[in-house]
Amino acid sequence: MKAKKLSLVSSLVITLAAVLVVLSLFFPWWQMIFFAPQYPEGLNIIVYPNKLEGEIDIVNGLNHYIGMENFSEENFPELAYLSYLVIGLAALTLLTAILRKKAVLYGLIGLFIIGGGLGVWDLTRALRKFGTNLSPTAPIKIDPFVPPLLGHNTVANFVTESVLGYGAYFLIAAFILLLIPLWKDRTR
Amino acid sequence: MKKWIPIASGLLAGFVAATISFADFSNSTNNQVASSTTKSDAEKVYVPFGEKDDYYLFASGGHSGQMFIYGVPSMRHIRTVPVFSPDSATGYGFDEHSKKLLGDYTWGDLHHPAFSETNGDYDGKYMFATDVGNSRAAAMDLETFTVKDIINVPNTSGPHCAAFVTQNTEYMFLPTRFAVPIGSEYKSLDDYSDQYRGVMSAVTFDQNKDKLNIAYQVALPPWSYDLSDAGKKSSADWAVMTTYNTEEATTNLEINASQADRDFIVLFNWKELVKMVADGQYDEVTGQKMIFPEKHKGGIYLVPVAKSPHGVDVTPDGKHFIASGKLAPSMTVFSFEKAFEAIEKQDFAGERNGIPIINYDSIMEREVNPENALGPLHTQFDDKGMAYTTMFISSEIVKWDPKTGETLDRVPVQYSPGHSVAAEGDTVAPDGKWLIALNKIAKDSYLSVGPSHPESMQLIDISGKMKVIQSSPVNPEPHYAQIIKADKIKTIEVYPKDENNKLATYKQDQARIERNGNEVHVYGIAMRSKFIFDAKAKRPDVIEVNQGDKVFIHLTNTDFDEDITHGFAINSYNLNIEVQPGQTNTIEFTADKAGTFPLYCTNFCSALHQEMTGYFLVKPNK
Repeated sequence: MKAKKLSLVSSLVITLAAVLVVLSLFFPWWQMIFFAPQYPEGLNIIVYPNKLEGEIDIVNGLNHYIGMENFSEENFPELAYLSYLVIGLAALTLLTAILRKKAVLYGLIGLFIIGGGLGVWDLTRALRKFGTNLSPTAPIKIDPFVPPLLGHNTVANFVTESVLGYGAYFLIAAFILLLIPLWKDRTR
Repeated sequence: MKKWIPIASGLLAGFVAATISFADFSNSTNNQVASSTTKSDAEKVYVPFGEKDDYYLFASGGHSGQMFIYGVPSMRHIRTVPVFSPDSATGYGFDEHSKKLLGDYTWGDLHHPAFSETNGDYDGKYMFATDVGNSRAAAMDLETFTVKDIINVPNTSGPHCAAFVTQNTEYMFLPTRFAVPIGSEYKSLDDYSDQYRGVMSAVTFDQNKDKLNIAYQVALPPWSYDLSDAGKKSSADWAVMTTYNTEEATTNLEINASQADRDFIVLFNWKELVKMVADGQYDEVTGQKMIFPEKHKGGIYLVPVAKSPHGVDVTPDGKHFIASGKLAPSMTVFSFEKAFEAIEKQDFAGERNGIPIINYDSIMEREVNPENALGPLHTQFDDKGMAYTTMFISSEIVKWDPKTGETLDRVPVQYSPGHSVAAEGDTVAPDGKWLIALNKIAKDSYLSVGPSHPESMQLIDISGKMKVIQSSPVNPEPHYAQIIKADKIKTIEVYPKDENNKLATYKQDQARIERNGNEVHVYGIAMRSKFIFDAKAKRPDVIEVNQGDKVFIHLTNTDFDEDITHGFAINSYNLNIEVQPGQTNTIEFTADKAGTFPLYCTNFCSALHQEMTGYFLVKPNK
């Protein structure tokens, strides 16, 4: 028997992480809600790994006043392949559960960290691009701005609120699940 | 030593306060119950900002040709919906669809609104209305509060005695106020009795195609048909309507149509008439299937009634119909059951114009004549089946019990009520609570605006003793109204995208101008805050044509956002339409005036609405 093999419980925990990763595909990952006096109900941009939802057209219609580029799925090529990467990650997670090798798990955790970091970087990049690349001929001139990844921001009459969606929470939960075997099967 | 004083007095004060606050629970509970039922009149009608009214009121706009929408109990005017008259505020009568509906008419006389019904109760889907001025009927969709279809009714002139729908909206009947010869041909008034007819039309409405259609007509005698109601429940296959001028007078009707002591209620079985038509028992005249009662026997009967009746109303249980005598003056309660029995037994007292007359005494339940109540016109009902009749001459509403004839309550109104309307008061299940008197004379009620006065609608709380608690001015002229529970109406806020609509342009880069001979088709977009008529042009918001061109502008509002309406007007071209969010609307006209004409958005849409403009350039002919 190889001592390095992860326990069955750990394997199950990792399997559960794989399930959560797949599940995250069906839920929004990130959401920005726009509130204004005229929109007390809020306008939404809801980001799924493969699509945008919410009142995108209305937000775009309003954003053109400050010269912001349109949000659209074409502007986010990531949406075309992100779900395949997620499925790949889920497959690797499942493979880790089957192999039950600690080294593989380390690799997987590393992959999660890199992937998550890239995701955060990509979203920040997008927010910076939209907020700072304002048309010089816009009817209403405002200073360039970068909406935060999470939390409030105020632009003109709009207050935006950025929040994580269920999908993101599933991914975080999956990541935490992956850490559990490290502690559980630690070498005594 | 004196330290005990503040302590003791403190304790004492505490006990006193506690006793006042908490003792005698039964009493304080009673107070609470009492206070909730003794809301002041102001509190009853006050709908605070953020809350909405419980009911919609649809009031006929009479010779304005419009329908007025109010909230109840606040009596706030919410909207005017144009039906039979053009309305530049909404572009009604300017855009292609509504222009076709109105034809060449520039006014109408909207009398009696009627909701579509399912099982005798309002279903909140459609509102029907009739035009006494130009013999038309209209159907309004309650998802959008817009008119979908208007039908011209031939052989008839002034469907005052309508609209009333059967309990599942199978038919809407339009009996006429004025008798005319078939086809409205020229005939001497000396031949009135032979050549004139009071034609009634049975109209169907196809809810899938939004289309009104005449199923058949009935050539009733040349009398004036005044008001009507469809049966309910056990009388569902039947309908009743009142007549006056059974004298067949042709001049000075004020005197000559008020001579006979008795006029008639026409009682008919519409299911039987439908069957007769199916069996071919009709003549084809002017393209209509026409039943001539003297020839095609059955289904129609006359009930003698006190002279010149106005309203006839079926009780919520469907067992009785009540005629209001107007000049008699009394209300007469008739039994449907006894009428069916009399018809069965052929208990007739002769016939008029080939129609059997049912024996009055056989079916009359009671004549009700409240003391000094003059000019009974129309009756509504509450949740307990009690009747509320408007008294035009004595200016009051009288509440009475149809089962006993006992007068229960009376309240004066200011002044001269024609109809009244109770909350869902002509359905199988009236709500009680509210009654609105639709008064013809407002006189001294409001700030003066000169000799032309508004009419008045008075809200009456009927939950206890009747009391007028609110009064609202209203444009001419509320003939009749309907009150519907607000939650029955399900509106849309934005027109859904219709990819099959070839006239719609949803993508900015597809906005274009196409020329075909001397026809110019503009497939344009209206959005906050610009017009795009030709995406590829140097100036996308300019339309340039030649003098004499026929111009079609198909404009789509691509703001799929609640309450973002755009307008479109061309200066000096007498044109203005609206495009609601998501809607595509077409305007068609000939560019007969050469010159430069600014165009602009007429409905304030955004902070840059003022900039939402363009030019319509018409090159002159050489």
